[in-house]
Amino acid sequence: MGDSQYSFSLTTFSPSGKLVQIEHALTAVGSGQTSLGIKAANGVVIATEKKLPSILVDEASVQKIQLLTPNIGVVYSGMGPDSRVLVRKSRKQAEQYYKLYKEPIPVTQLVRETAAVMQEFTQSGGVRPFGVSLLIAGFDENGPQLYQVDPSGSYFSWKASAMGKNVSNAKTFLEKRYTDDMELDDAVHTAILTLKEGFEGQISGKNIEIGIIGTDKKFRVLTPAEIDDYLGEVE
Amino acid sequence: MSIFEYNGSATVAMVGKNCIAIGSDRRLGVQLQTIATDFQRIFQIHDRLFIGLSGLGSDAQTLYQRLVFRHKLYQLREERDMKPETFANLVSAILYEKRFGPYFCQPVIAGLGDDNKPFICTMDSIGAKELAKDFVVAGTASESLYGACESMYKPDMEPEELFETVSQALQASVDRDCLSGWGGHVYIVTPTEIKEHILKGRMD
Amino acid sequence: MTNGAFEVPAKGGFSFDNCKRNEMLLNKGLKAPGFLKTGTTIVGLVYQDGVILGADTRATEGPIVADKNCEKIHYMAPNIYCCGAGTAADTEAVTDMVSSQLKLHRYHTGRESRVITALTLLKSHLFRYQGHVSAALVLGGVDVSGPHLHTIYPHGSTDTLPFATMGSGSLAAMSVFESKYREGLTRDEGVKIVCEAIASGIFNDLGSGSNVDVCVITKGNVEYLRNHVQPNPRTYTSAKGYTFSKPTEVLSTKVTALAQRAVVTERGDAMEEE
Repeated sequence: MGDSQYSFSLTTFSPSGKLVQIEHALTAVGSGQTSLGIKAANGVVIATEKKLPSILVDEASVQKIQLLTPNIGVVYSGMGPDSRVLVRKSRKQAEQYYKLYKEPIPVTQLVRETAAVMQEFTQSGGVRPFGVSLLIAGFDENGPQLYQVDPSGSYFSWKASAMGKNVSNAKTFLEKRYTDDMELDDAVHTAILTLKEGFEGQISGKNIEIGIIGTDKKFRVLTPAEIDDYLGEVE
Repeated sequence: MSIFEYNGSATVAMVGKNCIAIGSDRRLGVQLQTIATDFQRIFQIHDRLFIGLSGLGSDAQTLYQRLVFRHKLYQLREERDMKPETFANLVSAILYEKRFGPYFCQPVIAGLGDDNKPFICTMDSIGAKELAKDFVVAGTASESLYGACESMYKPDMEPEELFETVSQALQASVDRDCLSGWGGHVYIVTPTEIKEHILKGRMD
Repeated sequence: MTNGAFEVPAKGGFSFDNCKRNEMLLNKGLKAPGFLKTGTTIVGLVYQDGVILGADTRATEGPIVADKNCEKIHYMAPNIYCCGAGTAADTEAVTDMVSSQLKLHRYHTGRESRVITALTLLKSHLFRYQGHVSAALVLGGVDVSGPHLHTIYPHGSTDTLPFATMGSGSLAAMSVFESKYREGLTRDEGVKIVCEAIASGIFNDLGSGSNVDVCVITKGNVEYLRNHVQPNPRTYTSAKGYTFSKPTEVLSTKVTALAQRAVVTERGDAMEEE
């Protein structure tokens, strides 16, 4: 039976001190589509591949990068449906904060709240952890910020990060390319080049998604046409 | 008799040039009998933020405790002080939560925000905010305070003049109110210092 | 209070903790205080390109003018605004709450909010509280199906109208609308009639006063004209202000120096290890 006899309940540790369901959740993330984010000097970019199961799917109906607040965006790797639950809860949390203080929620606070939800699902009865990792990109009074939140509920601030299927290659690539004084446009180029590494098939505005936020503090998902323009620039 | 008149109170806040003043009387009474002459109605939330709570004394103290609790949680969570505007919204939300069983308290909030921008505001006992650019008043002496401030206030006063104006307005008003008085308590907050004055007033 | 030794921030909804005590105080003959009201003249009309909303700017507490220049036209959505009359805290709270619900709804649907959505959310909240949340509203906006104007009463009933007035000055304002409103008004004609209606409230109803706020909503555009007309400027200010011959007697002074605000430095955001 091995670990499996400790898999029946999340609240049960295995003798080796692991919560096996969390590891399984990380496996789900690791086999998900690649996503990455880069924090530039004047903004943040997050990007993901958008591979669809069949060419018959209408790609315009799939949105993998979403807004949590006007100045905070999120992308996931792993299970799409799970991410939607988190997005819904995070938006509600952001709205509750706004209603109480009449002030937009700071990125750190929203990340903490989201991570708290993910942690709760590793400890409650009758639930399973979320099969997603999130990259949360935002710009507030404390400048541009990029966070990664994992199924365990742990979260880190990154200069650049990647997750999903191609994580190790992508991270190696980002480590080589990243500089502290990078501008937002350079960051978009680097994001595209990183996605291109190990991308199966021809990359286009329709099979990747890019979200950016600059000093205007307005998070925006790029249109396929805009992505194509950037693709033209990197070639 | 109104519940607001049970203990009696007068609070006022005024804006000057990069500074604010907040003042109150010092009387605590039970209807017409004076119980204490050093009652505190103005509380400090952080370095540059004050709240004056007029109305029922017990509710003022309870509300103050809840506000400190919420502000300390905020400080721990966000590692920063609340902006005056943010604090005003929090107070408003806490009061409105008790819409159908309110605290008998009318708060006056005054503070310096980012870039030392003055902020003052008052609200009713269920949290309807009233933002003003010049002055705000509350308590049993509010009617006379409105009149006094309306005529004595002028824009962009320096701290010393602001102090004199607030103090005179406060004293003049409480002298026409049986339920408040017995001296005053005035804070002047500038970007560099807080001056806390205890005023001498009539004792009748 | 219900959480034992310490209280946690509430999750929303009303708390009735103080009701018993307040009732006791009331029974002892202590009257409950009045709340901040907006006596108010609020109006709205549909014109050829959209909707125009108008409001006065006086807030009252009993017979006292508590705020001479308050804002009564509340934001609901980028294309929807709402005028509020009644208890100030209620109009503010109910419009904020629905505005928040609309925002979440827009995130979920990815579409512009509709005026009837706002209307339904508002009326169902007000009906639930059986008139105890005393907000009388004029709701206006332009959405995918064109311009809309509604009135909402505190008990939750609603009307759909080409022109509407609410608040204590509603009769004065309605007299202007009834004599001057017609279909297909231009923007300038519409704004003029709205200003006239509010002005008649300001001058004939004592619960309304000060200035005229106007909000013009068209397809894809909103013009919020704060203090569009100021018919009651202050005339009695002394430029010199007052000088006081006898200074205040100060018993004691305590000076606390304030530390200069710390410069925010970039903080390492490393969190706990997994």
